[in-house]
Amino acid sequence: MVWLVHLNGTWRSDPTAGMNPNPQTHTLPRTILTRIAPMTPSQTQRPNPLHLLAAFASGGLLTLAIFVNGEAGRLGGALFSSWLAHGVGTVVAVAVLALIWRRERAATKIAEAQHGKAPLWAYLGGIFGAVTVMLTSTAVNSPLALAGTLALGLAGQVVLSLAADYWGLLGLARRRLDLRDAGAVILIAGGSLLIILFGFGSA
Amino acid sequence: MILPLIAAFSAGVLVILSRQVNGRMSMSSTPMISSFWNHVVGFVVLTLIGLLVGGLIPANISEMPWWIFTGGAIGVVFVASGSWLITRIGAVNSTLLVIAGQMVFGVIFDLLRGAPVTIWASALGIVLILAGMALTQRRR
Repeated sequence: MVWLVHLNGTWRSDPTAGMNPNPQTHTLPRTILTRIAPMTPSQTQRPNPLHLLAAFASGGLLTLAIFVNGEAGRLGGALFSSWLAHGVGTVVAVAVLALIWRRERAATKIAEAQHGKAPLWAYLGGIFGAVTVMLTSTAVNSPLALAGTLALGLAGQVVLSLAADYWGLLGLARRRLDLRDAGAVILIAGGSLLIILFGFGSA
Repeated sequence: MILPLIAAFSAGVLVILSRQVNGRMSMSSTPMISSFWNHVVGFVVLTLIGLLVGGLIPANISEMPWWIFTGGAIGVVFVASGSWLITRIGAVNSTLLVIAGQMVFGVIFDLLRGAPVTIWASALGIVLILAGMALTQRRR
């Protein structure tokens, strides 16, 4: 449980402070907290523009990954493509972790002191990714085709992320949603649907 | 027809579920460790499915271009960044901004490689997306 939020340079108590099972973490140096504390977005905090920019850039990475994995799928099938990506990903992650292991282990100790050990289910995010591949390859090869699959997938993403923020699902912070979020959802989802349904291919 | 509809919608739901679960993992470890577990668990599951279904490794694997092996490396960075982001900007902002980036870079990428693009729809779509991004950014 995060008990501090960094707001405009000042530290304020989080309403959930009393629920912190590890009061000794209060004495952690501020620099460490700043680095590892997941800046729980409070109701009034504006998202850091750099974080939003990073998210936007990671969407570009996703485009690239989907193109590469799509080619692998075209040559060897959807299951092979995803299996290959997860296999290569595992090797790369191990290599990166081996290089920075000292730092990662220290960061994990601090994170566990603050949030407790990860629940068992938190290890299983990869299952959903694996199942996703099977679902999308089913949908793509139906009358929905690629555009329909992408459009409906987008709807699914928006619906679950709204629910996740509203209820603070699966141990992550709850975020209050307001009209601005609704506007952003409508504009970004609308623009994306326009590109998915009419932008691909020549009219 | 109802089955593919459910499949496509569920795929989107699972993308976010996965990011949320990986985000929780990264809260008690680090984004890179969370990305490792995501990939190793996914790999085990897909290997089991592959053994069950058969024909996992295609015969023409040696003739495939080398760069199809880079998708997994990009995925590691993407999953780690997703865990890092969701604990900072929340699920809705992560979803919207990642989709925005995916669409805008997708259009640019298609233009660069000479794939057919309908300009009016893509340009209008990008304008709407940028407007939506500006909205996520405004002070409350």
